[in-house]
Amino acid sequence: MGRKVARISIASSTASFLVAAILLSLVLSGQEVASAAIGDSWGSLIFDPLSVLMGLLIAGISLLVRIYSVRYMAEEEGYGRFFMLLDLMTAALLIMVAAADLITLMVSWHLIGVLLYFLLGQDTRSKSAYRYGFWTFITYRFGDLPLVLAAAVLFHTFHTWSLPEIFTALAANPDTTTFFDLPVSEVVGALIAMSAFARSAQFLLHTWLPYTMDGPTPVSALMHAGIVNAGGFLINRFAPVFAYTDNVLHWVFIVGVFTAVIGSVLMLSQHDIKKSLGYSTMGQMGFMIMECGVGAFSLAIFHLIAHGLFKGTLFLSAGGIIGQARYDDGVPKDDLYTFIVERRPARNRQPWLLMAAITLAIPVAVLLFSHLLVAPNLFQKQGAIILLFFGWVTGAQLLFATYNMRSENPWRLVTLIVFSFTVVVIGYTLISHAFDVFLYPDPEFSTKLYRAAGIDFSWFVILVVFASAVIVLGWLRAYYTERSQQEKWHSPSHWWRNFYALVWREFHILDIYTGLTRGLLAASARVNVWLRWG
Amino acid sequence: MTALGLVLIGVFLPLFPFSMVFNAVLERVTQPMLRSVLLLAWPQVGLWALSTQMPEVPAWLLVWALATSLLYAFRLLAMREIGRWIGFLATSAWALLWLPSYAGVPPSQLWAFAAGFSLPLVFLTLLAQVLEHHFGAAYTGLYGGLARRMPRFAGVLVISVLAATATPIFPTFFAMLHALIVSQPVPAVALTGIWLIWSWAAARLLQGLIVGPAEPSPELDLPIAATWGYAAGLAGLVVAGLILIGSRL
Repeated sequence: MGRKVARISIASSTASFLVAAILLSLVLSGQEVASAAIGDSWGSLIFDPLSVLMGLLIAGISLLVRIYSVRYMAEEEGYGRFFMLLDLMTAALLIMVAAADLITLMVSWHLIGVLLYFLLGQDTRSKSAYRYGFWTFITYRFGDLPLVLAAAVLFHTFHTWSLPEIFTALAANPDTTTFFDLPVSEVVGALIAMSAFARSAQFLLHTWLPYTMDGPTPVSALMHAGIVNAGGFLINRFAPVFAYTDNVLHWVFIVGVFTAVIGSVLMLSQHDIKKSLGYSTMGQMGFMIMECGVGAFSLAIFHLIAHGLFKGTLFLSAGGIIGQARYDDGVPKDDLYTFIVERRPARNRQPWLLMAAITLAIPVAVLLFSHLLVAPNLFQKQGAIILLFFGWVTGAQLLFATYNMRSENPWRLVTLIVFSFTVVVIGYTLISHAFDVFLYPDPEFSTKLYRAAGIDFSWFVILVVFASAVIVLGWLRAYYTERSQQEKWHSPSHWWRNFYALVWREFHILDIYTGLTRGLLAASARVNVWLRWG
Repeated sequence: MTALGLVLIGVFLPLFPFSMVFNAVLERVTQPMLRSVLLLAWPQVGLWALSTQMPEVPAWLLVWALATSLLYAFRLLAMREIGRWIGFLATSAWALLWLPSYAGVPPSQLWAFAAGFSLPLVFLTLLAQVLEHHFGAAYTGLYGGLARRMPRFAGVLVISVLAATATPIFPTFFAMLHALIVSQPVPAVALTGIWLIWSWAAARLLQGLIVGPAEPSPELDLPIAATWGYAAGLAGLVVAGLILIGSRL
């Protein structure tokens, strides 16, 4: 029975992948946006560029996950149930990305959380799998509710569930107000953003992500590669609402940046490799949400696709890496050992001023050149400048790292790294530009999104200068620390150790939530006792 | 309307503390068929009384109804005995019927909402009876491991609990959506909070029953015919919900 279910599952998955590929090719060839409906007011699907692109990604990843699961799950109990749940999950995800009305979107959005809970609890003997699965479930349910409220507000205002009709009505009258005379775009935008935050593990709603590793590896792959990206999709789906907001995208940016930083810090401080991977996803999700916050909606889609493919590969190859680690632990060797025993060259330091100049100047030049190639009006968009800034930080960080690398010919190494960086940046720029043209072909609409994300120019300059100063100071600090450690070992300060303990304990957020939960359960029991359980 | 009339409606369409009457009655009725009839008929009596005694619901009653629903949802979290769990969830759900009543939703639709809330609880009542028969008590967190011990039973139980706690695409989900779109912002936010607590309580109930190590006991499991019966019943519930409630959104 189980084998038959797996075969049916793979056949249906292959069919859905082929249909998704055909639909994408039709849209790419300039076919009109098609839709299908089974009900009068809801139960409708739309095949626009966003839905067909996301559909292909979901169908592709779920096909790979199922092929992988055929053997990986073969000795697990509930083999048939696992494939049925995977099928339902894929169906829910595909319906979610193609939903053309609010009810269909809500139904699929809600079902994804429920199905994920049971997929994570595939091993019904494991109480910890269900415990952590519950965290995911309750966070997802928490995130469902703003979406439900947003749907209620939109229905109350426009008297329709149809997304295209709502977007058309809003575009015709962007100043439409709702309850308490509030602008409908601001209210709905804020609610949608909250829903996206919960699904994409943004700070304070992130605790479920690093702890859901007790589920089967294929589920982790599907979750990290596909499901967790739904926040970015949702914000893109409601782009016609966000285009008319004034403040919401600023909050989206702040939450995204904060999550990216916190996620990265927590990733670096964890000893558990699985938790570390979870926090790495959290950091990436922060970056994706941040991209939405600067108005680069299409870039967020590109990011989530790239991250999905990368993280999916990482999880599915985890078993192989564990096997490889039995032969090579991968721990870096001591400098003295590699110099004397392995006869590898010692670090060859170059004049620091020259290296600093290269580190700071080359990434700027490469990024500016590649972006001006595709968008000459680049500097009119604050969001694009912020993304360039992040690109510059990443590039400079990369070159900064080469400073410590061992090489017989350091200039050759630097040249190769600069060349690779240039190729990556140009490729990234061209692909992201292609995504922008495909998803948002109307340049006026893209400009509206960037404008909605923009802030006062003087504040913008102050923030960029401040961020640059913080980053450069951080680099100097890292350089100084390393130099001083080479000369003499300094024990970390008390403050620094406390900070590390705080980070290692994940800012005690989990402890606070656990305490709160226990308190609520105890209060519930107490009320029942007072009322004599009646 | 007289105070006695309000008390009478408050007993059948729950308003705390009159809602305690229903839970006291449910506790004393041990026969599952009678319990099921009680679950189906109780809110219908309340709706009938409401339509005859109180043509227009005053706004202040909504606060009372929402507080009642929230109270029973909150109490549900610590409830481990399944019979009482069903009673508390019924009380919490039926109290929400005041919202569409206030908004002037026609009685025929209110009837469907009430039946939509009650029917999954009838399924749960029958399933609880099976547990009592096998283990002496229907109690979450006591034995666990039902997913391994009685997989068919566990499957039906999971779907029934999901149906009772307003999971798509069961009638309760659409009834909640209806209640939400006819509500003002503050009651709507309270409603979503209650919905969230139901989900939490459902997960706690299921985790205490289905999870854990246990040896398979096919002799305890639901017979295949009964499983198909439950599956048909739940499928019928979905179809009826889509036609009677979902299509009217």
